[in-house]
Amino acid sequence: MIVNKRRRPLPLTVLSTTFVLLWVLMAAFPFIWTVWGSFKVEQDFFSRDSWWFAIEGSRTIAQTGSAFTGDGYYGAWVLRDFFSSVVNTVIVTLSVVVVSLTFGTLGGYALARSGYRYTFWLLMLALVFRAMPHITLVSGYLLPFFEMNIWGHLPTAIIVLVAINQPFTLWMLHSFFLSIPKDLDESAMVDGCSRFQAFRLVVIPVMWPGVITTGLFSFLLAYNDFAVTAMLLSQPNQTMVPKIASFLGTIQQEGNVMFAVAAVVSATAPLFVLVMFFQRQIVSGLTAGAVKG
Amino acid sequence: MAEIRLKNVSKRWHNFVGVDNFDLDIADREFLVLLGPSGCGKTTTMRMIAGLDDISEGEIWLGDRMVNNLEPKDRDISMVFQSYGLYPNMTVYENIRFPLRVRKVPKELHHEKVMQAARMVELVDFLERRPAALSGGQRQRVALGRAIVRQPAAFLMDEPLSNLDAKLRVSTRAQIKNLQHTLKVTTIYVTHDQIEAMTLADRVVVMNKGVIQQVGTPTDIYDNPANTFVASFIGSPAMNLVSGDIENGTFRGPGITIGGLQINVKGPVTLGFRAEDASLVFEGGELGAEIYSMELLGEATMASFRMGDQLVSIKSGKEYRAEIGDVVHAAIPASICHLFDARTGVRIARTPGN
Repeated sequence: MIVNKRRRPLPLTVLSTTFVLLWVLMAAFPFIWTVWGSFKVEQDFFSRDSWWFAIEGSRTIAQTGSAFTGDGYYGAWVLRDFFSSVVNTVIVTLSVVVVSLTFGTLGGYALARSGYRYTFWLLMLALVFRAMPHITLVSGYLLPFFEMNIWGHLPTAIIVLVAINQPFTLWMLHSFFLSIPKDLDESAMVDGCSRFQAFRLVVIPVMWPGVITTGLFSFLLAYNDFAVTAMLLSQPNQTMVPKIASFLGTIQQEGNVMFAVAAVVSATAPLFVLVMFFQRQIVSGLTAGAVKG
Repeated sequence: MAEIRLKNVSKRWHNFVGVDNFDLDIADREFLVLLGPSGCGKTTTMRMIAGLDDISEGEIWLGDRMVNNLEPKDRDISMVFQSYGLYPNMTVYENIRFPLRVRKVPKELHHEKVMQAARMVELVDFLERRPAALSGGQRQRVALGRAIVRQPAAFLMDEPLSNLDAKLRVSTRAQIKNLQHTLKVTTIYVTHDQIEAMTLADRVVVMNKGVIQQVGTPTDIYDNPANTFVASFIGSPAMNLVSGDIENGTFRGPGITIGGLQINVKGPVTLGFRAEDASLVFEGGELGAEIYSMELLGEATMASFRMGDQLVSIKSGKEYRAEIGDVVHAAIPASICHLFDARTGVRIARTPGN
């Protein structure tokens, strides 16, 4: 065996390992707890007497005959039609990502290559809009949307989400494009490309890490949004997040908390898959961003 | 195959003049070098020819077409960039093939043309590699290969050798010269290195602050610089320039007296001579001073003197040895001297009979 000559002192190793383990546990615990609890009945998971019920699941056994039950999932997916909000979420997030990236790459490229000073002020303006709370946009839009009779439809929510997201994608893609040397598009143009061909054939192929990273952030914004989707979508058009909120109930309406818990787990699982699938691109996009020639 | 004509071309950004009234005809198959210090407008001139920068004033003609309003792709030129501008996601083969692909050259000709270009720049063994896996010199050759894969009206080269190390620069320089000779395509080459300019050019354009200082063959600008800027920019070391006064054909400067010059010039002038034209002598001569510094160059020895606030260098044989502080003399005959106007720096022509 090869002995590592520069071994760190044992106490330090123990300390740092313990710290990391503790941190992972603290960060992952709420999620693990939720996944575990989603297979219990409400009287176990939300017991006021003792949190031990959630682990033992004695009432789950009493009610369903087994320590684990899929009742929450059944209720959410079958009884309350969670599936249609999944479809709505897919439509909304995909549209937002595609539209933001289309405008973001074209606009970011134009801003990065433009020699005019107004590009700076455009970017500053974008930053201001980015900094505004989402709800400000929504409250301003509500009345016109009612009057134009477009409230409640998916495209309406998509437009507003794109409007919220666009300044950020512009900023991010703009800085990615800046990191790509100008010589690259110029040599493509001398080689026989139009400006747009140079963009499509030469610049975009080396921009993939940036496009994927920005696309992921757009995806997360649309996927996680509550303010816009809750205010602008009618009941049948709801996406997952407002749907989960409606499971929790309102003053007028009784909810079913276990449906919400099961739905939360269902909504989180795709994110794990996504991040794991794209992790290499995301990391290279976040750290390097640049393209080595 | 085309001649290039620039008619009173200017480039301005707000108040800043990048290129001022550039007027030049470049013959077909000529190798023209634009030479000047950084910021002199040489690259801007080339970029205007390529179509990458707009022209503020004037006209550029490629052959019989006025190209002012044409996109770069429609100008039928190819360009080698200082940073090469290779496509990092493509192999060497695809990089060289790219101009053929976007210009819709029939597919069946591609392979033959790419291989021909690759052979010319000696890259046949590297065709499957990506630019990241190549050395600087190889990348440079890929950029060259991409430029020569089709027969453009003109080659434009923007300081193509400045990122290479000294040894590679010499061999690539020879390669470029040979390629241009074989392909017989009009070439415009931008550099700040006067040795590159001297070795490559059919004609050199010396620029400073956006203005053409002199146009001529390398010998021309070396032997007959049009002004003190050209004199001090061309040659290694640059021409010695000493300010002083002239009267009755005799120049007097600090520690230096030269007779037998033009008698029709009078007043303050700048006198110039090349280090290798003068020689060190034991006594007499036009200059006598303490040696300020000695430099051994290998093939020669360079002695410098401090004359007033100027440094004057004189070349001597490689066996010559002297110590700093020794007083020596130098012969600077009138025949090797150039006179420049002290105020404007413009050359004072030697009229016959004077």
